[in-house]
Amino acid sequence: MKDKDLYNIPSEACTKINEWLLKFPDGEKKPAIIYALHLIQKENKYIKSKHVDALANLLNLKKIDVYEVASFYSMFELEKVGKHTISVCTNVSCMLKGSDEILAYLERKLKIKVGTSSDEYFLKDERECLAACCGAPMMQVDHRYYENLTKEKVDKIIRDIENEK
Amino acid sequence: MKNNIRINELCFSTLSSNNPNSLETYLSQGGYSTWKKIVNDFTDKQEIIDLVVKSGLRGRGGAGFSTGKKWSFINLESDEIKYLVCNADESEPGTCKDRDILRYNPHAVIEGMLIASYAIGANVSYCYLRGEFMGEVYKNFKQALNEAYSNNFVGNNILGSEINIELHDLIGAGAYIVGEETAMLESIEGKKGFPRYKPPFPAIKGLFNSPTIINNVETLASIPKIISNGPIWFNSIGTKDSPGFKCFSVSGHVNKPGNYEVPLGTPFKDLLELAGGVKNNKKIKAVIPGGSSVPVLPGNIIMNINMDYESIANAGSLLGSGAVIIMDENTNMVKVLHRIARFYYSESCGQCTPCREGTGWMYKIIDKLLSGKGSLKDIETLESLPNMIASSTICAFGDAAAMPVESFIKYYKNEFLNYIKNED
Repeated sequence: MKDKDLYNIPSEACTKINEWLLKFPDGEKKPAIIYALHLIQKENKYIKSKHVDALANLLNLKKIDVYEVASFYSMFELEKVGKHTISVCTNVSCMLKGSDEILAYLERKLKIKVGTSSDEYFLKDERECLAACCGAPMMQVDHRYYENLTKEKVDKIIRDIENEK
Repeated sequence: MKNNIRINELCFSTLSSNNPNSLETYLSQGGYSTWKKIVNDFTDKQEIIDLVVKSGLRGRGGAGFSTGKKWSFINLESDEIKYLVCNADESEPGTCKDRDILRYNPHAVIEGMLIASYAIGANVSYCYLRGEFMGEVYKNFKQALNEAYSNNFVGNNILGSEINIELHDLIGAGAYIVGEETAMLESIEGKKGFPRYKPPFPAIKGLFNSPTIINNVETLASIPKIISNGPIWFNSIGTKDSPGFKCFSVSGHVNKPGNYEVPLGTPFKDLLELAGGVKNNKKIKAVIPGGSSVPVLPGNIIMNINMDYESIANAGSLLGSGAVIIMDENTNMVKVLHRIARFYYSESCGQCTPCREGTGWMYKIIDKLLSGKGSLKDIETLESLPNMIASSTICAFGDAAAMPVESFIKYYKNEFLNYIKNED
């Protein structure tokens, strides 16, 4: 997190954050952090220090309060990542059904090492079970679940993403 | 095939429809009639709690604690603000039932949340969905919630009764530990998911320092029919100490992996048959019967036991969340334990030293063994670690990480020894 430019949270996002806060007792600001970080990440692909600063400012919180949430939860990316996040579940049920082969296939196909990004893709070895064990092996692409994967299915998923461009 | 097994009658009842998650389907199966009756009659809160106690329903998230008893910890006389939280942070490895309940029967979860909120005197209720559910699962749940609001089942002056209950959806951001109930409260409050010391228990001091009850998705989705059909109905299903239905997520080496909701006490071999038997006609080697946090059981043991809390406990494991992971005869148990240990090492929140350090040691030793660089001394160290972690931490994560290690070495020590080349 080296970026020191100033950032203003777009007014539409501010409105959404304020609406979200209505779910909680008056004066509670922290409960909006996770939701707001999701909004910021959606718009910027990853979270920079200027985003953390801006959110702390908006919610009138200490920067550390926001930063420790951003760094604790695994869905928040604090380094630059590719346009699409592909998370291949490699927990037990998926491993038993060949998730390691799917992950290796994606590495070769996308020409990126697991845990790294190209401009287009961020390939993640998801160690936390994604709760789709009966459809193993599975992966998520930008929050969408794809289950019962085969190499052919992976080819089609990637082809569909390429075609959407 | 056992045609006489009752299947998908409670939380998965809407699966018989082509449009399972719609309000119409839910209403056509008698949905919201329990809630309407409660709201209309102003049913006595204690009466509802007593009924849930009598039903014998046990928490379906994994701990298996009596739901009614948990509710009874709330002081109904107190005029403090109270909260109900639905734990939809499903993440115990092997478990995928809550995701399907939320996708295919979201109204049962909502009705269960309303009844539970009413019974404990909560006017605000939260459903905390894991961040990874923000696609289809969240969409289906949110749509159902909007329908419930527009039909005035939720909100202000519910169905003209002057009862007010707000029900909010919340979304997490990826952390296994947040499934632990006090870590979830921290997360809702917008903090890192660090479990809290107990006592005070959440029913005394929970969310925003107020009395709070946290229940699992499947538990809450079971409530409406338990209230409407009565505890005798629920008791007539399952066994004496494990009454009712339970959703089992059967995954791994089976022909038809899937979620099967069957009576507790169903023989394991019948559940395996429902899931199409072991893939490729292979023999069964081992089963993790309740999510990766519970001890593994060899196939020859589990083939003779029933799927209820007591039978599995007597066999040396736990029913847990109902995640049944099947492994065939070719499974490398060292690799499986390596994967499990890697998971706990990645997900330990780091708050307590025995867990933070111990999960790392366990993973690194198994990794060393797997790479062929391990020694007998490493196996001794590995065997000694679970005892140092278990019961020495704030939450049960340490125990959860330790139990599989103990059991894998107990039953499959030879496989670990086979990885040792140097006897130094």
